[in-house]
Amino acid sequence: MLAVFKKELKSYFLSPIGYVAIGLFLLVFSLFFYLTTIYQRAIDMGNLYFNTARYGLLVIVPIITMRMFAEERKNGTEQLLLTSPKSITGIVFGKLVAAIALIAITLIISLMYYVILCFFQAPNIVPVLVMILGFLLLSIAAISLGMFASSITENQVISAIITIVFLVIPWFLPNFGEGFEIIDLMSSYQKFPAGVISIQEVVRLVSFAAVFILITIMIMQRRKSVK
Amino acid sequence: MIEIKNVTKKYPNITAVDHINFEVKDGEVVGFLGPNGAGKSTTMNMITGFIEPTEGQIIVNGFDIAKKPKKAKKQIGYMPEGTPLYTELTVKEFVNYMAELKEVKAKQRKEMVKRILSEVGLENVQNKIIRNLSRGYKQRVSMAGALVGDPAVIILDEPTVGLDPKQITEIRTLIKELGKKHTVILSSHILSEVSQICERVVIINHGKIVAIDTPENLENKTKEKNTILVTVEDPKENMKNLQEQVAEISEVKFLKDNEDGTKQYAISSSGEIDLRKKLFEVLPKQEITIFELKKSESTLEDAFIKLIDTTSSQTVEEPVKDKATIKAEKKEEKAKAKEEKAKEKQAKKEENKKKGGDK
Repeated sequence: MLAVFKKELKSYFLSPIGYVAIGLFLLVFSLFFYLTTIYQRAIDMGNLYFNTARYGLLVIVPIITMRMFAEERKNGTEQLLLTSPKSITGIVFGKLVAAIALIAITLIISLMYYVILCFFQAPNIVPVLVMILGFLLLSIAAISLGMFASSITENQVISAIITIVFLVIPWFLPNFGEGFEIIDLMSSYQKFPAGVISIQEVVRLVSFAAVFILITIMIMQRRKSVK
Repeated sequence: MIEIKNVTKKYPNITAVDHINFEVKDGEVVGFLGPNGAGKSTTMNMITGFIEPTEGQIIVNGFDIAKKPKKAKKQIGYMPEGTPLYTELTVKEFVNYMAELKEVKAKQRKEMVKRILSEVGLENVQNKIIRNLSRGYKQRVSMAGALVGDPAVIILDEPTVGLDPKQITEIRTLIKELGKKHTVILSSHILSEVSQICERVVIINHGKIVAIDTPENLENKTKEKNTILVTVEDPKENMKNLQEQVAEISEVKFLKDNEDGTKQYAISSSGEIDLRKKLFEVLPKQEITIFELKKSESTLEDAFIKLIDTTSSQTVEEPVKDKATIKAEKKEEKAKAKEEKAKEKQAKKEENKKKGGDK
């Protein structure tokens, strides 16, 4: 797992993808920092993280995840990976953790907004850290979804579109009536921005991620006999 | 070392590999030969555990690839077809990554990567990004990826495709070197390559093994007769009577008219008799002038084409024949049934007549 993780993380920064993802992410962050905090003359960071999660992840996650397995399959490097003694579970987690690391790096950089606010009036650091923790969990769930989309196709564009559609559909959920909130990731990021850790939200995000990680592992294992 | 037992791979519409059996011994260099689409790559992918056979068992160095994939895969270094590489990495980074994937211990890794890079001649480009390398170098990088970790078995899928002649000879000598230390399986559709490098050849066509033998034996097997090619000027057409003059000749076959008025014949004899001396003596007496005389040598090329042709004609023509014969048989049956019915009717009529007559 460690070998795959190191190589994947390195690859993000050897191609423009890593820089583009982090750059775009910080752009969205800064935009909402201005709109929700500076413009409102507030020191609340909850809205900042909530809105970035809602609109930022939509763009960033597909960029990060689309290449995970689709590119390997298209280039044939999948053969190198799958004929190595590494287990499929290890490979999947290696790639997943590398993608999560990319988001974690951005989240660490996002602490600069806290530092900026400190010049005016220091907000309580604990709720901010809770927001970031929730954001990370939310990202893990979204990345697992994107990883799954990448494992079912060799076309990166299709993989990205599947991820985007899945993340956009929840916006229209109010039109469908009750009962569909389960696929809306944002419904599990309601209490974190208020600085509260809710077990319900944690469980929902973690299980969402677990389901898609599991399906990805199963797909990769099944491919051996289907190919 | 490698045992392949009754291995089959079926796809929805096609059986890519059909019940193949063979063994590769320790330290052997085996060539896997066949036309495109014969099932070479599929077989190699199954040996390396990239795809699962529908049926059968593959044992690498004592480990079943299906039951103990981790241990079996550690025995294998694989260079896939088309040399897939992580092109964003440098040569050194790539080989190092492959070493990590093969679980080479961190202490030995640096040294091993260095050694392998010098073995395949990549020291000069080790810090270059793979994307910018020429095809020959990429092939070597891919080979370095297969070699790292010192696997017992090295599997190379079409290692010389797309290289220029100089690079091909370089890669060949490299493979020969490898054969001294490892068991090597390589696939190719180029015969001369296989006969130069390999100790044993497995010829595969339509997913079935056509022949397994040494290159020399394969050549001999398909050499059925001694044939000599002669180009002659023969104004009196005496060549036709040659068979009567020389008893050892079994067949004189006219091949072609040349533009300068000479003709080419193929003269064959049974057994091990060399006709060349005799022909030099006899032909001038018949007022035939010899322009050229040479022994026709069957090469591995011939053996290959012969073997492939026989198998493909068998597999292709059989079902067609079957359909035709089935139709013919059905027709015959119908005709027979009609005849029998007619006969029965006639017999009945005659009986009735007889009965009538009796009355």
